[in-house]
Amino acid sequence: MTAYIIRRLFFLVFVLFGVSILIFGLLSTFSPERRAAAYVTSPKQAENIPLIIQEYGLDKPFYVQYGKWVQQVAKGNLGWSLVAARPVAQAFWTYFPTTLELNLLASPLVIIVGIWLGTMSGVHRDSFFDHSTRIAAIVGWSLPTFLFALILLMVFYGYLGMFSPGILSSKLSLWVANHPDEFVRYTGMYTFDGLLNGRLDITLNALRHLVLPVITQVIVVVALLMRVMRSGMIEEMNKDYIITAKAKGADFKTIYKKHAKKNALIPVITVAGQLVALSMEGSIAVEVVFSRQGMGWWLAESATQLDMPVLMSVCMFVGLVFVTSNLIIDIMYAYVDPRIRLH
Amino acid sequence: MKRIISVLACVLLMASVAVAASPKDTFVFESYGTVRTLDPACAYDVVSHQRIMNIYESLIFFDGSATDKFGPVLATEVPSAENGGIRDDGKTYEFKIRKGVKFHNGNELTAEDVAYSIKRHMVVDQEGGPMWMMLEAVAGVSSTRKDGKIIDGIFEKIDKSVEVKGDSVIIHLPRPFPPLLAVLAYSYGGVILDKEWTIANGGWDGTVKNAANFNGPAFGAEPLQKIANGTGPYKMLKWTPSNEFIFQRTDNYWGEKPELKTAIIRYNKEWSSRKLALQNGDADRVTVDAQYLSEVQDMDNVKLFSVPQLSVTGAMFCQKINPEANPNIGSGKLDGEGIPPNFFADINVRKAFLHAFDRQMYIEDVWNGNVTIPTTPNAKGLPYSKEEPVYEYDLEKAAELMKKAWGGKVWDKGFKMVLTHNTGNAQREAAALMIAENIMSLNPKFQIEVRNVDWKDYTVGYRKFMYPLFIIGWGADFPDPDNFLTTFMASTGPYGKFMAYKNDEVDKLAKYARFEIDPDKRRDAYYRMQDLWFEDAPGLILYQKVDHFAYRSNVDGFIPNPMLDHEWENLKLLKKN
Repeated sequence: MTAYIIRRLFFLVFVLFGVSILIFGLLSTFSPERRAAAYVTSPKQAENIPLIIQEYGLDKPFYVQYGKWVQQVAKGNLGWSLVAARPVAQAFWTYFPTTLELNLLASPLVIIVGIWLGTMSGVHRDSFFDHSTRIAAIVGWSLPTFLFALILLMVFYGYLGMFSPGILSSKLSLWVANHPDEFVRYTGMYTFDGLLNGRLDITLNALRHLVLPVITQVIVVVALLMRVMRSGMIEEMNKDYIITAKAKGADFKTIYKKHAKKNALIPVITVAGQLVALSMEGSIAVEVVFSRQGMGWWLAESATQLDMPVLMSVCMFVGLVFVTSNLIIDIMYAYVDPRIRLH
Repeated sequence: MKRIISVLACVLLMASVAVAASPKDTFVFESYGTVRTLDPACAYDVVSHQRIMNIYESLIFFDGSATDKFGPVLATEVPSAENGGIRDDGKTYEFKIRKGVKFHNGNELTAEDVAYSIKRHMVVDQEGGPMWMMLEAVAGVSSTRKDGKIIDGIFEKIDKSVEVKGDSVIIHLPRPFPPLLAVLAYSYGGVILDKEWTIANGGWDGTVKNAANFNGPAFGAEPLQKIANGTGPYKMLKWTPSNEFIFQRTDNYWGEKPELKTAIIRYNKEWSSRKLALQNGDADRVTVDAQYLSEVQDMDNVKLFSVPQLSVTGAMFCQKINPEANPNIGSGKLDGEGIPPNFFADINVRKAFLHAFDRQMYIEDVWNGNVTIPTTPNAKGLPYSKEEPVYEYDLEKAAELMKKAWGGKVWDKGFKMVLTHNTGNAQREAAALMIAENIMSLNPKFQIEVRNVDWKDYTVGYRKFMYPLFIIGWGADFPDPDNFLTTFMASTGPYGKFMAYKNDEVDKLAKYARFEIDPDKRRDAYYRMQDLWFEDAPGLILYQKVDHFAYRSNVDGFIPNPMLDHEWENLKLLKKN
């Protein structure tokens, strides 16, 4: 098993190298002028485009620019983010907790709701419950996240005056800014930091701001999980061992909870990697609409402003998360099924 | 499962309990501008300017809504020829420095701080920064570098140009520069730093011999990028870039104590969310773009100010288009399949395009009557602005001119070309479509395609002479005709150059008027330049920008000024009832 993991970790380095070459290559297809123009916010500064190209070596060959970038990354310098107005590494730690907080709260809900809905739907196949959840899943799956988020915002914040966007209310935000010594930012996530500092009001306020983003995030991701779980359940429920158990008169709840559900969960592991990707994608729209400055928002802003160092770093990070999550899934599979380790 | 649902429901209920809108002593402004730097020598955008000018102060500032009258701030009076502050035919400016002013860290303001600050900004002169204005005035050049190398003796020149004499600071100019007061009031050249604090924080040490080490810092490497210590009414409590900026009232402010204790400027790019924040009172002000104006106009408890800005957008005819692999001019010949690179060099073509623009319909249909169109680039609100005749909307006249153009070849052969505007600007797109459709209606052989280009590409494209007709805007660096007429018309101006428009008389007038101190002579020169705008028809002015300021009705104190756009807020004037 250890050898298998080491082999896969070695492979991970190559994958990341490939991802970096690919992203760098794609970004290099933009002309030096266009990349230099990212530093130009008004026509008044356009005179300086040639000087910026010279200063940052944007006209140098691909391998020179890539080599320089790798050198800098090795030193821990990921570059300067125009969008964040600070070094990329520093900005990362500002934005990452916001996205992590959203996904930490959304993921358990996705798993609980997705598995429960999928199980019930599969067990009670073709029932009213099954049809309605499937329709809801199709709607959730098809509706653009951005639109869904906007609808929630209009209804809850616009008409009902509940769940304002942002991360914290103005009053508490001011309190935190005024008391840097009293309120320690252990995790950068207000929900958790509120608890760790013994400030339940901050935790509750942060949660209030998270209700709509979490609902949106859950709706986006849950449909996939539900569908996989449902088909897994249907497949398992039709297998001989279940039929035998039924014939022996075993309790129906015990059959699907103790036997079928466990086996149906295995395919869910397969889609876990896709769930990570979906969460990242969902975070972009959620963070833009609900004004939460996290990784998704940062990536969207950087893409529109051609903030090269950020695009490189965030894409690498997403690649790393994706590859790592797939590695974990593979290891889990190898653990479950020893035959995989032999390949 | 039921238990989980009950717990979740409880949490939701507790979390949904409404909290009060923005506190009474706090002003919350939601906008989408981002701050790049707090270093006054390097910032060159309105958002950074707003933050800087509420923390730091300059020697003088605009007097209320005026752009040509100033009031003293850190100077005790505005220099003028009458009070002896401006001498030597406009080559010497003396500023008497206010006493009893303290920086936020407790240090006292001295004349030495003022002289150091003015010099320090020019010494730093970051690539693409705003210091060209001060350098042009003080050193007669627009940069401290030429071809990437520092100009010999430039720092000595800067050093000698600013002098401390008792409690006064004297600026010596190589030649008169009438816009200097406007530059010092609005631009960063006049922002005053604490010398001791700046040096302690890695800023220029004040010596000429070390000046080169502090020149042209890379983006983000400027020492005062994220710290600030000014004399202003507010200090920075917290800045989370692209998230929120919190101002806190200072206790030791020398002037009248502002009413608001705190101000939060929060980044919110999504309009729906901004609008709802204003509606619910979570924001006291939000930025409203023109296309959303109608959504705010009738909102309860909201008051709206629409302020014309010193910012002009026009369609520029390029008279020397780059023919190299340029899809915008088709075949590159007058054969019905394209246009020649000098298509717009024929004044008949330019005038025909001007006659094809329906100003009235544009104002009403596109702007709902909420805009004015200046007749020249010297927008309304600028000194010496003059009403010129306009090429009225007349398609018959346009057709006649097209028949005359290029000896009749344009009319016989027809042409194909692309008209460009930058992506995402609905008003510019509407103007482009209007012009294109009207020109095409003249003759079925005329074909114009309207194409939008991403701003980053657009900046590069027009500078490479790729666009036959490009739509672009210009906002004031300082409120003076020089900043507009030279920009749009001089053959060396930022737009004149890329229109390849050259009129020797214009060039001569632009150079002369910039340094002329006699207001009458200056006025005559700028009047003549505006006449020439009509006569030569080098471009078409489309609109003067109008910015909208939407406040909750309990906020008072806003004073409109055409130099201060919708990202601006003068916090010390505001009150909340």
